[in-house]
Amino acid sequence: MFRIALKGILGRKARLILTSLAVILGTAFLSGTAVFSATLNQTFDNLFSDVFRNIDGYVRSTQVIEADFGAEERQRLPQELIELVEAVPGVADVQGDIQAFARIVGKDGVPLGAEGAGPPTFGSVGEEFKGALWTVTDGKFPSGPTEVALDEAVAKSGGFVVGDTVKVIAQAGSREFTLAGIASYGDVRSPGGATFALFDLPTAQEFLAKPGFIDSILISGDGSLSDEELAKAVNAVIPSSYKTETLTGAEITKESQDQIGSALSFFSILLSTFSYIALGVGSFVIYNVFSISAAQRQRENALLRAIGASKKQVTRALLIESVIVGLFGSLVGLVAGIGLSKALSALLKAAGIDLPSGGLVVPSSAIANTVVVGLIVTVSSAWLPARRAGRVPPLAAMRETAIEVVALTRRRTALGFVFIGLGAAAITAVTNGASNTWLGLGILFVFSGTITLGPVIARPVALFLGKPAQQFRGVTGTMARQNSARNPKRTARTASPVLIGVALVTAVAALAASIRTQIDDVFTEQFKGDYAINSNARGFGGLSPSLADDINALPGVARATGIGFLTVKIDDRGQNLTTINPATVEGVLDIGLTSGTYADLTPETIFVSQKYVDNNSAKLGDTINVTLADAQVKNLTIAGIYEFDDLAGKYTVSRDLVKDSTVITFDFGVYIAMESGVSDVTARAALQGAVDKYGQGELLSKREYIDLQSGQVNQLLGLIYGLLFLSVIIAVVGIIITLLLSVFERQREIGLLRAVGMTKSQVRTTVRWESVITSLLGAVVGIVLGVGLGWVIVYALRDQGLSSFSVPVGSTVSILIMAFVIGVLAAVYPAWRATRVNLLSAITTA
Amino acid sequence: MNNPSAATATEVSKIYGHGGSEVRALDNVSVQFEIGKFTAIMGPSGSGKSTLMHCMAGLDEMTKGSVNIGDVDIADLNDKELTRLRRDKIGFVFQSFNLVPTLTADENIRLPLLLGNNKGNEEWIQKVINTVHLQDRLSHRPSELSGGQQQRVAVARALASQPAIIFADEPTGNLDSTTGGEILSFMRKAVDDLGQTIVMVTHDPVSASYADRIVFLKDGKIAGELLQPTPETVLDYMKKLGH
Ligand SMILES: Nc1ncnc2c1ncn2[C@@H]1O[C@H](COP(=O)(O)OP(=O)(O)OP(=O)(O)O)[C@@H](O)[C@H]1O
Ligand SMILES: [Mg+2]
Repeated sequence: MFRIALKGILGRKARLILTSLAVILGTAFLSGTAVFSATLNQTFDNLFSDVFRNIDGYVRSTQVIEADFGAEERQRLPQELIELVEAVPGVADVQGDIQAFARIVGKDGVPLGAEGAGPPTFGSVGEEFKGALWTVTDGKFPSGPTEVALDEAVAKSGGFVVGDTVKVIAQAGSREFTLAGIASYGDVRSPGGATFALFDLPTAQEFLAKPGFIDSILISGDGSLSDEELAKAVNAVIPSSYKTETLTGAEITKESQDQIGSALSFFSILLSTFSYIALGVGSFVIYNVFSISAAQRQRENALLRAIGASKKQVTRALLIESVIVGLFGSLVGLVAGIGLSKALSALLKAAGIDLPSGGLVVPSSAIANTVVVGLIVTVSSAWLPARRAGRVPPLAAMRETAIEVVALTRRRTALGFVFIGLGAAAITAVTNGASNTWLGLGILFVFSGTITLGPVIARPVALFLGKPAQQFRGVTGTMARQNSARNPKRTARTASPVLIGVALVTAVAALAASIRTQIDDVFTEQFKGDYAINSNARGFGGLSPSLADDINALPGVARATGIGFLTVKIDDRGQNLTTINPATVEGVLDIGLTSGTYADLTPETIFVSQKYVDNNSAKLGDTINVTLADAQVKNLTIAGIYEFDDLAGKYTVSRDLVKDSTVITFDFGVYIAMESGVSDVTARAALQGAVDKYGQGELLSKREYIDLQSGQVNQLLGLIYGLLFLSVIIAVVGIIITLLLSVFERQREIGLLRAVGMTKSQVRTTVRWESVITSLLGAVVGIVLGVGLGWVIVYALRDQGLSSFSVPVGSTVSILIMAFVIGVLAAVYPAWRATRVNLLSAITTA
Repeated sequence: MNNPSAATATEVSKIYGHGGSEVRALDNVSVQFEIGKFTAIMGPSGSGKSTLMHCMAGLDEMTKGSVNIGDVDIADLNDKELTRLRRDKIGFVFQSFNLVPTLTADENIRLPLLLGNNKGNEEWIQKVINTVHLQDRLSHRPSELSGGQQQRVAVARALASQPAIIFADEPTGNLDSTTGGEILSFMRKAVDDLGQTIVMVTHDPVSASYADRIVFLKDGKIAGELLQPTPETVLDYMKKLGH
């Protein structure tokens, strides 16, 4: 008897595979992202060890300004230090190094590399040197003011060969060079996808930075001293007034590795957040599979109970199965994850980021983490269904069919409403002044409440959503509709991954839409000109300040003004100041001056925002000490206060502030007002001419410019796509699994239908519509939740200046269409499987 | 030419398995079922009754021989055409699990018509519903009906599309004798008053006596026939066959 019971009902093997699949899916993302991050870290570690292998010492200034977002600006060193260091005994060779903005212009005249987004574009020094970071693979290192070398990757993508003419844009403007050579960085064609234009030192100084200055000195020893002794010796000869430090080769290697490590850690955290979301969502699928499988085995378990098995034994049997499934699934998930990490690398490569070569790193922590987490999630998902299985009355063995007992308790409804009530209360409390942390709690409660209520709302909502199916598909539609509503718990659980994914995506889309509206409003209010020249290179390179001057001189131009920013230190903290040209700003850019006039802004004064005044109880005439990147300290007097800080920030200074320093500035935008009566065609022709001269920046009308600014929010879309990708995969697999289990469960019914004349295509239609209804159920509830969530996030960010909330109508529509497609796609295999059901099974199975 | 038989089996064999474990469920069976007649099939367990019905209804493939429903040789039909044939020309009543649990009694009765996007003959359908006394149960789902009511719905479904032939495999096997009797007299009436053709498998001599004719099977072969049976003559005949 045990034998028969244990041999299992039809589809048992398939069910084991399906259960494991849910576990595999959840754990694969976990291990995949862990392996990918570890591998990425390791390969960059290797890269820097390789590149710095002949560097024994590294001299640089100790004066550094760290601004927001980890950007840092280090003071430059005077060139004469090179000779000082070169003369130190034990030093074999030195090289002055510079790393600054430079952009290579493609053969078609379009600058290469994505400005602002994507990897940076550098100009640097490439010279014959014992410890050279760069290795020439074709031609030679550049020498003289007319020669350049390029990294291999950009040379290849730009189609450049040695001897070609290459146009490069840098701080000093744009210039043409002859390509002398092509070089690689360690064993990669370019580090992390950045582009490099290499020059000899004098050219680099003059073209990229400031003549007479360098960023750092690379030292290669002759082997007579250890790196530590060498660093000491070098430090000893440099007068302390220069404020320098000397790092050993190991130290600069470690620092570079750590720097990229922390840059990557953001990425890793993002990836692992995604993978935990995936696992969380996947656990719904796991729980669902165990519930269904326990329900389908009801008769079998009842039989076991009837012939003397205890509740405990039945429960334990299921738990043991879940341990086996959990272990097996996690291990396969681990392997699948390694494959996934390879796919991620390939994806990056396809996006043009050449990762250093190196073996796959599978950290033991990732293995342990994946298996332990996988096991815990699986066994805890199986816990409730296993206990329920133990409680099956022996009588159930006599029942006709094993249909999951659907008792929607009042307790569940009550609990759901309590959760939602608590959540709403927490959110209301915040709108009445409580701290933002309550918002998180509120969201959590509302989500939990919705999931708890899921089975209660699943039936009416599914019946409602299924109406069109019934209308257009006749009896097949009716059956699909009824099938999706016949087991609300199962339907709710199946729809949950869709719900969560859609809610997250909708929330992010709502946030993006709100920011977009906000930016639009700000620019419309503050940008008064007719045209703008835009550079996306914020913080690194940009438009030469002389562009605005050139445009001002053009006929038909009423006024043109450049706006840029400058990183300085105030009270020992890095700050970004907005730089404007007080002579030309009036009437083009409105920062809402409430006291002072633009004429009051001189190299000795500063304007501050009203908010700054309020927060610091500052007043006109106060002084602010500003330390420039070259360590000059300026005592600036507050000469004006302004209202609009969305664009200008806390501080605004004249661009002439840095005139007598080694600091260089770029403009990120030039705003232009034309004289009245100048036609668009004439204006564009004149302005474009000036832009072309510099080869940098994009000419836009006011409207185009505003659209572009608000379009920057699209970077949030990356997040949306990531979430979308995950949710789609999990939702599809979740629906596939549930549908397959339902198909197995309904074999007799399907057999009966086939016997009385349902065609195969009608069978498929029924399964397909059930799937679509389930998917839409998740999407509709998810959108409602997501819009709410988006509103809460926007509300939480109100102090960041976000004041308007927009519903992302477009995204909502696409999500619904997507949900429909997901439903159709997920049904393909189960529907096909349903047509394979044996006709006679309905009749011959007793 | 007017074919007097609703369904004809010609030298039908059905073999399960291969070699040593081969089971000859049907062995060269030829039989005709006349239009407007109620035929019962009897025989010991494992004699091939169900198999014969399945093969004749196109639910199962035969190993050898041919089956005609009306003028149509079912061997000529592909899966889709065969499905249509079952839907439009054949009615079924099974021993249990006859109804789709998600549909109401009314929808279950009309299921073959609905699947074919066919309105059917409403007058006829009402007549069928009235005859099986289901008027006040039409909006109920199968789980809300008794076993006997479920079987009546199944019979009504089999009749609703006015099929050329109805196959019923032990339709009263799960019912008490009173309820079973009701179903059987209804089937009898459907043949007499409505002109239907019914083939029914049964083990029970009393049930079989409702039929016009009984075909006996043994070891996959036709073992004999009995016309105008009564329970007594059936029992006698069964004894004679050594059952
Ligand atoms: N799928 C199958 N595989 C192998 N043998 C089968 C299969 N189906 C039926 N058989 C065999 O075919 C023979 C005829 O079976 P069938 O179901 O037609 O008998 P039956 O007359 O309907 O019996 P019962 O009165 O018990 O319903 C039996 O010996 C049975 O074991
Ligand atoms: Mg049988």
